[in-house]
Amino acid sequence: MADGTEQAMFLDPAIRDWVLFPITVIMVLVGVFRHQLTILMTGEPPKPEPKDIRQGKALMRGQILAQNNSYIPLAAFAERKKYLCAAYEEGTYLKNKAQKEQGAANLMADPKNMEVMMDGMKKQMMGIVPQTLIMGWIQFFFSGFILIKLPFPLGVRFKQMLQSGIMTPNMDVRWVSSLSWYFINLFGLRGVFSLILGGENSADGTRDMTAMSTMGAMGQQPGQPQDFNKQFLSMKDNLSIVYHEWDLENIEQRVLVKYGKQARLFKSSRK
Amino acid sequence: MSSLALLAEIRQSSERRPYEVLKLAEPLLNSSNQLTSATDDAWLVYEQVFLSALDEGQIDLAKALLHILHSRFPSSQRVKRLYGLVNEAAGHPDESHKLYSEVVDKDPTNVLALKRIIALLKAEGKMALAANELVGYLDTHGNDFEAWLELSHIYLGLHMYRQAAFCLEEVILQQPANHYFHLCYAEINYSMGLLDIALKEYLRVIELSTDNVRGFYGVKLTADRIIELLSSSTRSGSGGGKSRRDAQMSFSLDNVPQMPVLEKLSQLATERLVATYSANKAASAPTKALEDWLKQ
Repeated sequence: MADGTEQAMFLDPAIRDWVLFPITVIMVLVGVFRHQLTILMTGEPPKPEPKDIRQGKALMRGQILAQNNSYIPLAAFAERKKYLCAAYEEGTYLKNKAQKEQGAANLMADPKNMEVMMDGMKKQMMGIVPQTLIMGWIQFFFSGFILIKLPFPLGVRFKQMLQSGIMTPNMDVRWVSSLSWYFINLFGLRGVFSLILGGENSADGTRDMTAMSTMGAMGQQPGQPQDFNKQFLSMKDNLSIVYHEWDLENIEQRVLVKYGKQARLFKSSRK
Repeated sequence: MSSLALLAEIRQSSERRPYEVLKLAEPLLNSSNQLTSATDDAWLVYEQVFLSALDEGQIDLAKALLHILHSRFPSSQRVKRLYGLVNEAAGHPDESHKLYSEVVDKDPTNVLALKRIIALLKAEGKMALAANELVGYLDTHGNDFEAWLELSHIYLGLHMYRQAAFCLEEVILQQPANHYFHLCYAEINYSMGLLDIALKEYLRVIELSTDNVRGFYGVKLTADRIIELLSSSTRSGSGGGKSRRDAQMSFSLDNVPQMPVLEKLSQLATERLVATYSANKAASAPTKALEDWLKQ
């Protein structure tokens, strides 16, 4: 980039006072407002029923058994494995045993699931609407504005990031356009928010963005209830292939070695 | 550090230090403006002091505090549970049971109230009922290892060793590195005559906790017993061989370690027990008792 072009551009201080600062201030204010609104709108999380808890804990029990099976004797493990596998197969721990056959189609039937989904929708809407409005506002009033010049040089690759909305191939990358300033704020204000509002805040707009982009890929909304029947069945498969080896099989040697009564003869099978 | 901060620290570590709590809270309670200025924390302090007052047997103070809490949260289930506690302390278990049941009816997931009901049954000596309730509780909250431990103790009281062992297996599954649980499990297995498992579990205790005296006593007892059984079966059992099941044995001698290993273990236990006791010069009477026992 020639020196001449760089010298030739001067920004009106009015742009700084009436565009650069307002955009930043408004984005901060909207973030704070969003945070307060979220606090207002999210009431108490719905209380789980005992059956929900039972369902989750039953799954956890299988996990623990698969994980720590080496700490109990073979007979104890076999007993549990048999019981849990049969229970998973039959759906003993399922919340709605009758619905087992109908599968995931009936997830909507549970009114609480509906509530959870509505709550998620509300939160997402609250993230999307203000950000769209601000972006529209910037594009409508300040499209093509150059707001700021960065005090350090950057490579050409940053052009897309810093000068979106401006079609000037030869301009120095250090100049930042209005739309790019918006995006930099959107992603960069997280630290500011956690300063003002504390670590766990809901002012940040980027989280919803990531949630949105992953939603399509996973085909599942965050907070959507899982299909426990499927999880139980896969846990049953997991359990049935667990190879049990009691951790205490060679404990005599281990203790004797610990007290120096015996040289370490063979490799300990302990993990 | 201010007394409020100290109280908060005790509260968070869930230590049970009623005397200190009452000492710290006394000036706070007397000068009324100090607690109210602490805003939301004040109610936690009231609850904490209330529990400590119950521990110290100061029921009048507890009742006064409960009154304050009740006037602030008239419909709170948490306060209702506290009413149950006061009734328990004052010796009205039926009243408490009613209160706890009301709390549970309103919110079946209220773990604290559920546990109080079980504790109440246990305190009244209705062990079978308590065990029953606890089984129901564990069906839902299967990952509460402390409840499993409690159930195991209740079963032990009822001499139901098999069930107690099952509960301890659950505890060990969830907390495999705590030597105390292995110790309990070993002792139950010893009581049931499953010496092979008992020996291994005692050894596990020693592995996890160096020079654990209770563990070494167990090793000594179990190893000597197995040696005795082994030598008697080789002496008399020419027909059945080693795998022959003795009438008094509920385990197979195949699973036990080799004779030299057993002897080594027994020796090790003797050695470590003597070393541990003689390290403590003051305890001469226990040392003597131990030596007498080992000579047997």
